[in-house]
Amino acid sequence: MASFKKTQIRSLPKIGQKVTADTLYWRKLNFPVTVKEFGPIDYIDVMPIEPYFIAVSSAAKVQIYNPITHQVHRHFTRFKEAAYGASIRSDGKLVIAGCDEGHVKLFDIGSKSLLRIFKGHKGPVHRCKFTTDNVHVVSFSDDKSVALWDLPSETEIIKFSEHSDYVRAGCVSSISSDLFLSGSFDHTVKLYDARSPTGSTISVDHGSPVESVLMYPSNSIFVSVGGTELRVWDMLAGGRLLARVSQHHKTITCLHLASDGKRLVTGGLDRHAKIYDVQSYQVVHTLDFPSPVLSLGITPDDFTVVAGMANGLISMQHRQTQAEARALNPKQSLKVQKKSQTAYRFRLNADFRSVNRTFNPATDVEVATKTDTNFVSRYDMFLRKFQYSKALDTVLTPYIRKKKPAITVGVMHELIRRNGLKSALAGRDDSSLSSILTFLARNINDPSHANIIIQVANTLLEIYESSSLTPQSEKLFLQLQEHVNREVEYVKHLMEIEGMLHILLASTTTQARRSSTYVVQGSPVKPMLPSASAAANATMIFNVG
Amino acid sequence: MVKMANKKTRGPDKTQANTSDIVVKKLDDATDIVRQPPVFTNDSKYICIASGRQIGIYSVESAEKVHSLEEHTFDVIGLAIKDDNILLSCDASGETIEWNINNGTTLKKAPLVVAGIKEFHSFHYPGNGKVLVATPSTYTTNMSSLWIVDSHTRPRKLFADIKSTPHSIAFGCNQGNGSLVVVALQDHSVVVKDITNGVDKKHMTDQRKFTCVALHSEKLIMATGDISGRILIWHDFVHKSRPVKTVYHWHTLPVNSVCFSSEGEYLYSGGSEKVMVKWRLGMSRKQFLPRMGSSIKYIVNAPDNICVATSHSDNAIRFIDSTNKINRAIIGLVKHDPIRGFADTEPIKESVMPTGLVFDPRSHGIFFNAQAGFLQLFDPQKNSLIFNMDVANRNVLTDERNLVIGNAEVLRVAVSPTGEWLATLEVWSNMSAGYHDMNLKFWRYDAVQANYELNTDVTMPHQDRVTALCFQPGLLGTEMPCLVSIGRDLKFKIWRLVDDTDIYRQKESWSCDVAGDFRKLTPSALSFSEDGSLMAIAFQDTVTLWDPTSINLNTTLSHTLVQEPIELMEFGRDNCFRYLVCASKSALYAWDVISQGLVWKVGQLHSSVRCLVPDPKSCYMAAVLQNSEVFVFSPSSSKPVHSVPKMNSSEPIAALFVPRPNPLASGPEWLINSRLLIVDDQQEFLCVDDVSSAGFNQKLTTPISHMDSLPWTPFSAMKAEKQISAAKQLVPVVHQTSGIQGYKSVQSLLETSASALPPMSRICSLFMSDLMIKHGPKAVTAKVNSVDRTSTDLPLSNGHIDSKTQDFSEETTLQKLLTLDCQWLVETVK
Repeated sequence: MASFKKTQIRSLPKIGQKVTADTLYWRKLNFPVTVKEFGPIDYIDVMPIEPYFIAVSSAAKVQIYNPITHQVHRHFTRFKEAAYGASIRSDGKLVIAGCDEGHVKLFDIGSKSLLRIFKGHKGPVHRCKFTTDNVHVVSFSDDKSVALWDLPSETEIIKFSEHSDYVRAGCVSSISSDLFLSGSFDHTVKLYDARSPTGSTISVDHGSPVESVLMYPSNSIFVSVGGTELRVWDMLAGGRLLARVSQHHKTITCLHLASDGKRLVTGGLDRHAKIYDVQSYQVVHTLDFPSPVLSLGITPDDFTVVAGMANGLISMQHRQTQAEARALNPKQSLKVQKKSQTAYRFRLNADFRSVNRTFNPATDVEVATKTDTNFVSRYDMFLRKFQYSKALDTVLTPYIRKKKPAITVGVMHELIRRNGLKSALAGRDDSSLSSILTFLARNINDPSHANIIIQVANTLLEIYESSSLTPQSEKLFLQLQEHVNREVEYVKHLMEIEGMLHILLASTTTQARRSSTYVVQGSPVKPMLPSASAAANATMIFNVG
Repeated sequence: MVKMANKKTRGPDKTQANTSDIVVKKLDDATDIVRQPPVFTNDSKYICIASGRQIGIYSVESAEKVHSLEEHTFDVIGLAIKDDNILLSCDASGETIEWNINNGTTLKKAPLVVAGIKEFHSFHYPGNGKVLVATPSTYTTNMSSLWIVDSHTRPRKLFADIKSTPHSIAFGCNQGNGSLVVVALQDHSVVVKDITNGVDKKHMTDQRKFTCVALHSEKLIMATGDISGRILIWHDFVHKSRPVKTVYHWHTLPVNSVCFSSEGEYLYSGGSEKVMVKWRLGMSRKQFLPRMGSSIKYIVNAPDNICVATSHSDNAIRFIDSTNKINRAIIGLVKHDPIRGFADTEPIKESVMPTGLVFDPRSHGIFFNAQAGFLQLFDPQKNSLIFNMDVANRNVLTDERNLVIGNAEVLRVAVSPTGEWLATLEVWSNMSAGYHDMNLKFWRYDAVQANYELNTDVTMPHQDRVTALCFQPGLLGTEMPCLVSIGRDLKFKIWRLVDDTDIYRQKESWSCDVAGDFRKLTPSALSFSEDGSLMAIAFQDTVTLWDPTSINLNTTLSHTLVQEPIELMEFGRDNCFRYLVCASKSALYAWDVISQGLVWKVGQLHSSVRCLVPDPKSCYMAAVLQNSEVFVFSPSSSKPVHSVPKMNSSEPIAALFVPRPNPLASGPEWLINSRLLIVDDQQEFLCVDDVSSAGFNQKLTTPISHMDSLPWTPFSAMKAEKQISAAKQLVPVVHQTSGIQGYKSVQSLLETSASALPPMSRICSLFMSDLMIKHGPKAVTAKVNSVDRTSTDLPLSNGHIDSKTQDFSEETTLQKLLTLDCQWLVETVK
């Protein structure tokens, strides 16, 4: 037996911004907690393991924040001038920071003590990083050099001085302890291998001063930002340019990976942070900040997003927990709760009944969850029973009528198909007639539903033209007429514009191909045309009023 | 200006074939199985179904065909069970044959001799050697006379002028003395005869015409249905002149069939509402079985009272079990109910089979209309239905008593050259309301799921009726497919597949690329050249040639000799690619599109050309005329290679060249690679073919084991229940309904760009474990009962090893090896 097929509700695609999985995901960030520092926030680094402490370097100090409490966990102030680029080791025990006097300082987070000072750079050091093996440090300095230091012996192993301007960006490979990248204001990004001390292995031209670089976890691709551009380079192909993306309208200052390496985040001086998909480099979401963004930090679980801004503000945003979401939106959460509460049906196991033994509730009760697949809506139920008036009544409730007019139109369509519209519309009292009339007046201008609405309106007029109406219904009929007249007027205007466009198009096509003798109509410009259906409106005859 | 060209023939040399070898045959297997009511055997294990000249014996358990009995030379008009294992059948010429049901052999043939009458309408067998036959009435047409034939007495006429449908005659026995009671229907009355006692009665009710009658086999109760949907139960109708009647009225449409259960407790009735009603006699309770798909023609009850079979107008027989559920069905080729409500000016093709025959290059099947809103795919090689597809996906609506309610109908179908895309146009129109709906749907074939998935649904693609749909042939795999539609709103539209993929999902959909018109003329026909580089659209008598990629008008072709509007138009194939053959009401002519001249014209045809079909495998083309003449010709010349004279009275609707799987060894050139199928207005298939090719007479169905029909003997006990063979079975890829081992993970690995992959060490073990054969307890059992293939993965080996336990253990060791292998690999990667 073929099952009853549900009434088809025609839904048209909505115009406007699409709600995607990403927008929903990133919209869940709470209102930010802000902390004010004295100077611009130079760099933010997130500890890669729990509890995901955040190292913030600004002015002459490095502060380590607890992302949950937003309190300062540790602060390091042993810098004479500004401190830069504090970075936490992958085990979360040590932190290094560069400073204006050209030193790289190593601190123990637990004891706050200064363990090592790497001296050798002649200019300020803006970025420094631990290598993957945790016993080396790479520093990127304004004296145009990049140096690799040995942690235990506090000595310099190699120094590369290939850049011709300040080196303000750098990162290390996550796989090999010998590979690291540097980006400089001389527009180049260079890849070094500590095993080949002669010089850089890859050098690419970014086209503008490089503000930040980043290497993907797979180590086959690196990204550089600077100016308003993001460039993606293929490392395995020797520095081939894979993509150029320009989504910011001011300088991009920082780069970060999010969502387990599936999304890339860039922050810029235009106060936005853009989130990209790493495969297509399409922007999937944008975060807004009150001030130019200088640095970004995102915890590995995407729970906290920290942004450091030029006016010294640190904004920390948490992802909404479920409890919070429930408190914020109790109505929706109730629905979710209802859904999760499944209806249970208990029944005795078959073999328990047949065999005479003691009852064991663990094995002898089968629990069957109720399946919700055969849900039949009320209007379908009435349609199934051929109760057409009732089916129409159920879709004329204020909620469906106003919020989901497509359902009402769908049921009307089905009634037309079943030749049951007349019987469904006939014999209505004043209040139900007024609800139909207001629905028709509201939706008759909608080109996607117009053909069905016009059909219903014509049938309604046919039924009620000779019957006496109350003043209220009469007023509504006149209102409907008013709507139709307005639509006709509007379509007339549109057709005038269409005619003008046709003249323009025809003249251009004849210029382009003077020899041809025909005109292909249509497609290059598609004006909004509810034309045919709306033109049909004009033919509607009103006998009432 | 275009000139009449008198050119030499450029086509292939016409080898003068011996045309006497070519015959027109009827495809027998595709005939309907619901013309006669089916008959259950006494043990209710088998059901006998008459279909044309054949009788099929089907198992009730499995709904599979067990025997096919083919001895009759005329259509079978009646079946009856004579004894436990003997089936009696009679054909329209009066020849009766007795068959052995168990092995399908003929036992006895005998002609019926009834006063020199040569034509019979229906046949019933009440038992004891007595036979009831209906013959054409001598005075009134469409009426029958009923005769009783006995082996030792002369045939006796029982009634004259009764209705000739199989359901207007019923028989039963009188409880008192066991004498035979026969009832028959006339338009407004029921006539009753008690044979032994010689009682004659005629009962009348009111002006409602009777449609069907049933008599209980043991109790003396009669049920009649009439055109108002009323069912009357008559008690004691043999003796009383005003018998007691009970009224059961639920149906609104005429009752097509009534049937008693064997105990006489229940009555089944059905009609065009597509609902079977089960009445409990003497009580007001009734049960319904709604939405049976198609209107009910006959209802037959099995002798064991467990199962009821219903014959439906969509050529299906459905079995209903005692819990009032359909559990099996025997489905034949579906006949399309002609669409009602078309204007008289429309050709008959539009109502009988609007889609025509459309060849599917993927399955080598043919698409055409099934029930309203459905489309079926028929395999002409095996003469079997491949599937029946719901295109409209709407509830099938039934008429009301004074109101015709139409359903959505599939009007046009087009298949892309690769078979990947299917475009269907469905139309629903309500003439009285002046409102119509039109949907153009694009379906994509999913090879993994083995079905079509809806890709795009376009509402109102044209403002008026769509005349033709055609995919552009000859595209490379990289090019986006393209469909052209022409409609009576004077427009032609070009639809293209648009890639709408973003990072969240992969999506392609169809959208209208160009809509154009030509001098406000109605486009009437559409054709693509074989390589797809040229599109021809006929606007009345003018042919326009377009470049399909840029939609530039290349040329218009018109001539003073051809002024009639073009109805059909086709490009030549193969080496006749340059000829464009057009057919108007009375003429057939060809254009040369390169020299742009009229090549030839044949005027004053006997009747108008109904179909013009090119053979995809050769350069020939066939023109089928309305009076069923067929001409096969090469587009390069006007002289036909072969012509078939008028076949019969029926009118052809559609035609198609169907490629053969194996080319003929000898024969005329146009028949070597394909044969011509023609459908007539009765939706019977005719085939123009060579005599030598046995094609459709061969039985391609595999024999079914007759184990359960064999009597128990010591030898049968020795026979194994299952036979295991080492021969490899072919696994049909098309019908694989679920995926390949690890397909998903390989796919995801290949689809993700290298940059976005996590480090290899992290995904390697996961990936390898996905590729391994999973041996949950379920999979193992599936392997052991390898006869029913329940395992979801592709079976790796199909040759069965004799001992099953050994098979199993071998596999576990294999599995171990695999695991070891992978671990080693994972470690090295780390």
